[in-house]
Amino acid sequence: MNSPATTAAGSAAIAPTRTPAFEARLAKRYRAERNFRLMGLGAVIFSVAVLVFLLGNMLVNGIAGFQRAEMPVTINFVEAGVEGDAVSLTAPTALQTLEMGGLPDVVEFYAEAQLGEDAARELSPDAWRDVAAALMADPALIAGTRTFQLAASSNLATGLAGEGSPEMQALANRLVSEGKLAKNWDWGFLARSDATSPQAVGIWGALKGSILTMLVTLVLAFPVGVLSALYLEEYAPKNRWTDIIEVSINNLAAVPSIIFGLLGLAVFLAIFPNMRSAPLIGGMTLALMTMPVIVISGRNAIKAVPPSIRDGALAVGASPVQVVFHHVLPLALPGMLTGTIIGMARALGETAPLLMIGMRAFVATPPDGFTSPATVLPVQIFLWSDEINRGFVERTSAAIIVLLAFLLLMNGLAIYLRNKFEKSW
Amino acid sequence: MTVIHPNMNDESAKIRARDVCVFYGEKKAIDNVSIDISPDYVTAFIGPSGCGKSTFLRCFNRMNDTIGAARVTGRIELEGENILDNTMDVVQLRARVGMVFQKPNPFPKSIYENIAYGPKIHGLADKKADLDVIVERSLTRAGLWDEVKDRLDDSGTALSGGQQQRLCIARAIAVDPEVILMDEPASALDPIATAKIEELIDELSGRYAIVIVTHSMQQAARVSQRTAFFHLGKMVEYGPTSEIFTNPIEERTKDYITGRYG
Repeated sequence: MNSPATTAAGSAAIAPTRTPAFEARLAKRYRAERNFRLMGLGAVIFSVAVLVFLLGNMLVNGIAGFQRAEMPVTINFVEAGVEGDAVSLTAPTALQTLEMGGLPDVVEFYAEAQLGEDAARELSPDAWRDVAAALMADPALIAGTRTFQLAASSNLATGLAGEGSPEMQALANRLVSEGKLAKNWDWGFLARSDATSPQAVGIWGALKGSILTMLVTLVLAFPVGVLSALYLEEYAPKNRWTDIIEVSINNLAAVPSIIFGLLGLAVFLAIFPNMRSAPLIGGMTLALMTMPVIVISGRNAIKAVPPSIRDGALAVGASPVQVVFHHVLPLALPGMLTGTIIGMARALGETAPLLMIGMRAFVATPPDGFTSPATVLPVQIFLWSDEINRGFVERTSAAIIVLLAFLLLMNGLAIYLRNKFEKSW
Repeated sequence: MTVIHPNMNDESAKIRARDVCVFYGEKKAIDNVSIDISPDYVTAFIGPSGCGKSTFLRCFNRMNDTIGAARVTGRIELEGENILDNTMDVVQLRARVGMVFQKPNPFPKSIYENIAYGPKIHGLADKKADLDVIVERSLTRAGLWDEVKDRLDDSGTALSGGQQQRLCIARAIAVDPEVILMDEPASALDPIATAKIEELIDELSGRYAIVIVTHSMQQAARVSQRTAFFHLGKMVEYGPTSEIFTNPIEERTKDYITGRYG
């Protein structure tokens, strides 16, 4: 049947790749590809839109969170007879000395004189502390006159925002028109800590708590993670035990974070019972959570180092340790850093395990060390979002912006380090 | 079964292998090979793919140690010392027996660092000046000095394939080894780079005992004075290169040389 004649006739008719059926199939393939590309593009556009909406919303709300309603009060310290000198104002007890010396009354007196009685009543009860802080920072002020922008009460601030009781709104409007009330940029937000009034809160306490906690996490998780990855990949024999260890590490990375919090509560707080809420305990708990991520990414980075580099180093007589530390580790480091930063970013945003070990306490002063009570940014955001006072909404957004900025900073550092160490082969 | 031409076993042999077997798990990759490697000549191992010639070569500097499942039995003496012995210091052995691989594998460091690495870890140079001398001498011997002397700080991986391979040869001779093993050193290179490598092997022979594995019979004929033919894990025939290529004794060698299989 397969005679030369039929073959010749077939090819003379039409080549199989030139038939209409083939062209129809070709068109279908192109259509499928176009559809897939459109779908992918759509997905990207959708996620970018969501991100832009989220960030935009955060930014619009958060900008107001970086501002606060303030009233100007000029205080003549000499006339008021406030006592103090360079020595007493820099002593640790300066705040008490000023309070006993009647600074709150002095502030109230000048406020009443300059703003009127009704406005002075709506001055934040803690306003005198700002004055005291200024005096302690610069004792020379005590010999002169100075205008302070003092925080309004949260009721008046709500009134200024066009909400709250009609009387407050009216008072706010009148004061604004008289130039006695304005929303000012509040740099103090980045320097103060938690407080009961949204007018007096700051983020520094939580930010410092986060920084200290992250330091503990990094110092514990990075070396342990990297060394575990190196040992498992380079030295450990491949047997049932290492298989079990590998499975355990992979499972550890998937354990819900609150379980780690329970572990921290049951183990770390049992060992250090008087360190509740301390960054040290928080960092140890988060390190448990971060370490498996570093081990897994580290092992993948080590696997990606070409065996030829190892062979080359062994062949010139490098010992196994020298091969690891001179060749494998430098080449695997960029990948390890990427894994570390992913783990750290997750730890930075983690709330649940820290709630378990008591980092949700109301902490009004920034922690002075790894063992003093602290809170962290995401927990602070969680706590503020729970507050009833309207002023906390904007403060919460501002805190989220600070958290995101911190995250970006960390990521930027990681990208910088990765590019610095990255080599081609 | 193994045909060894006359005068191949001499007293001055650098490496003396006796009854060497290599197992990968259950599989016997090398079966009872005995061979003497002369310090004065280039010895070529030829044979079809999978015949075990590279595996056998890697016994000489114990690179098979890095493969968990590999097991080597028999004796391999380097100047009378059994290198398969457990007491043999592998690091020292590899300083004495250098190796060049099939694919150029310079370290992703500068050209200078590539050469200086071996001398540094072995403490062969105390001062920077001594190291400079070693780097220049090694690169000169590898015929690369003139091409790279102005860019010693550039990355070794930025060189062309042929230059990278000569860099690897320079790296091997920087620690002043007694033997250099070459595992198909030119198979990833173009003909011009290959010619340069072959020229280099010619120049280095005599100073170092060189053992080269190649799947190119022309290359074996060009660069070596001794040739061993391997087939299915056994050494079939070992003799002077001219004899092997013109007057092989074994039928299988003749078939391979004339291109009937392989």
